[in-house]
Amino acid sequence: MSHKFWYLTKMSLFKKIKSKWFLGVNIIFFLAIVILVNMDGIVKFFGGDFENQQTIIILDETKEVANSFTSFLKSNAYTSGENERYEIKITSKEEDEVKKTLEKEDALLIVFQEDASNGFKVKMISQNKINALDYQIFVQAINQVKSNYLLAKMNVDSKFLESLSAPVVIDREVLSDKQDVDEGMETIMSTVFPTIILPFFMLTIFLVQMIGADICEEKSTRSMEVIISNVSAKVHFASKIVAANLFVLIQGGLLLLFVALSFVVRHFFMGGSALSSLADTFGGVLNSLSSTGFLDKIWYFLPLLFLLMVASFILYSLLAGILASVTTNMEDFQHIQAPIMIVSVIGYYLAIMAAMFEGSVFIHILSYVPFLSSLLSPALFVLGEVSLFDMVLSILFTVILIFVFIRYGMRIYKAGILNYSNEKVWTRLFKTVKNKDI
Amino acid sequence: MLKVENIYKNYGSVKALRGLSFECQEGEIFGLLGENGAGKTTTFRIIMGLVGANQGTVTLDGMPIDYSKTDQIGFVTEERSLLTKLTVEEQAQFYGALKGMNEQEVDKALTFWLKRFEIEEYRYRKIKELSKGNQQKIQFLCAVMNHPKLLILDEPFTGLDPINVKLLKDAIYDLKKEGCMIIFSSHQMEYIEEFCEKLVILVKGKPILKGSLKEVKQQYGIKRVEVVGDVTSSDFQNIKGVEKVDALQDKFILHITGEEVVPRIFKAIKEKKIRKFEAMEPTLNEIFIEKVGEAK
Repeated sequence: MSHKFWYLTKMSLFKKIKSKWFLGVNIIFFLAIVILVNMDGIVKFFGGDFENQQTIIILDETKEVANSFTSFLKSNAYTSGENERYEIKITSKEEDEVKKTLEKEDALLIVFQEDASNGFKVKMISQNKINALDYQIFVQAINQVKSNYLLAKMNVDSKFLESLSAPVVIDREVLSDKQDVDEGMETIMSTVFPTIILPFFMLTIFLVQMIGADICEEKSTRSMEVIISNVSAKVHFASKIVAANLFVLIQGGLLLLFVALSFVVRHFFMGGSALSSLADTFGGVLNSLSSTGFLDKIWYFLPLLFLLMVASFILYSLLAGILASVTTNMEDFQHIQAPIMIVSVIGYYLAIMAAMFEGSVFIHILSYVPFLSSLLSPALFVLGEVSLFDMVLSILFTVILIFVFIRYGMRIYKAGILNYSNEKVWTRLFKTVKNKDI
Repeated sequence: MLKVENIYKNYGSVKALRGLSFECQEGEIFGLLGENGAGKTTTFRIIMGLVGANQGTVTLDGMPIDYSKTDQIGFVTEERSLLTKLTVEEQAQFYGALKGMNEQEVDKALTFWLKRFEIEEYRYRKIKELSKGNQQKIQFLCAVMNHPKLLILDEPFTGLDPINVKLLKDAIYDLKKEGCMIIFSSHQMEYIEEFCEKLVILVKGKPILKGSLKEVKQQYGIKRVEVVGDVTSSDFQNIKGVEKVDALQDKFILHITGEEVVPRIFKAIKEKKIRKFEAMEPTLNEIFIEKVGEAK
């Protein structure tokens, strides 16, 4: 029987993996991930003004602020790739003379003029309109330079000036028992969402669809009678669950591979080292995790997350399989899977909104609910809303429900897979559940 | 030997089977007759262990049928039980594996049966690309490629043209010669009449007629006499026991009350110029219609 079990598992898995759907979906995934990772390069590839460096010509009539302005602009200005965004030239020519050259080159002339009441004033001259972001950067730089210029005029020493502009060190302390509360965690959600919640949600949809389509196909073609006459319903069901869960693990692995490949593409497309790009990205994530103290918890968070996800995949697949057993065609399954989809979509949106409703008791309680917990619990844990104990409880509730589904759902499955009555699918389901003979 | 003993099966308030019993010996073909919903499919499902009976037992060679025995059973369902997206070879490998066969065994058996059914060129075609008749052949070969001890055929000739019916019939006869027990169900009585040594007629789950074909026909008795010759309808009018006369030119079909009427008819027309006189055995179709009508 174990040979037949593995054969059925292999058959279900290969049927899915060899399908055109699988190939098509993964090509789309690969392209989407490559595009997302290389979006900046793709945008540049098609050309535009962002390719050109903005030339800035500084005419400093005060003779005191040009260098300060230049260094401020260089340290704060946005740079793309290896090229600096601004090319800065300091001129000693007359204003009118420089103005004439502006007609030929698309440069910006910034003239610093003495002003008795305000220290200095500035004229910005260009042939065309300049980018709004650039304008803001220039204004910010000019104002900063002006403050420093005036303070210097008042004989304030450079050390004091440095202290004045340095950021304030904030020592954050939380007195409640939730020691892991950290406002910075919300920034991590921007990492958790695309790397954990979104892929998990997509894989859940795939899982439910795979089980449904597989069982429906065998039922609608009446192959089920031949199959069940050779292997027990229990073996058949188990093979579907194992195949579907292996499938999502393979699909998850492929998504990771696509991310790695997209960095390789980035390497060839944009130059530079792909590995260093990858290292930079992971380094950035690790830095943000480290700065919030989350790295200290990651050693138990990741195994728990894996357990919760695997348990949730098994739970989703059990429910999808039980429901699919009473259907006779794909249309039936579309009807009957709607509640699963609604629940997972609710979990998905609650996970997104978790950061917005900090301290919500309702969301906290929902994070224990199987089906929702796989989406909510990791998000709330990262936000510091739930503890290690809460996450373990979520896993425990999911595992308990898995045993309930195996015990009672198996009976429904056994009766459902050979039920071809013409009743509406929901009626058929409820009758099967109520049937004392099963 | 397959032994079905006193089977009862209820689906809620619906009594699907009521006291069905029969036996099928090795090398025997057994017919299961009944209208739609009479309980034929339920009987097959109980034999295959797909559903349990409320009462009664089913044994194969004295042992209950469980998943250790199902590798010895072939099952051709009434509707096509094929995964239409698979190729013929993939389908055969799939069902072969479920019967405990390895890849080489399936390959060898598939080659043999495809050749026998003259469809070798379809080996790598998808099932959905085949005609209904060819799909039925594939379903049949999938059921018999493991040389089953027991073969269940639920309407096996549906959708087949006469040439393909003959191909399948020959295959069934060969399996019978090999000693295979065959349970056969069909709405087409001529097939049952041609194949089955023994049969049971089910009406609403209850067996109303059972036994060998010869016994069943004897129980029914002779109810018709065919006469061809220089006679007229009036020659049969005064014979006691003749209920009705159908005339077609010089051919007359006499509907009679029983076998004892035959000598009386013969006596009444023996002086006439008669080319044919036959006391006709009832067809299974006639028996079926009459018995089902009575039971209702």
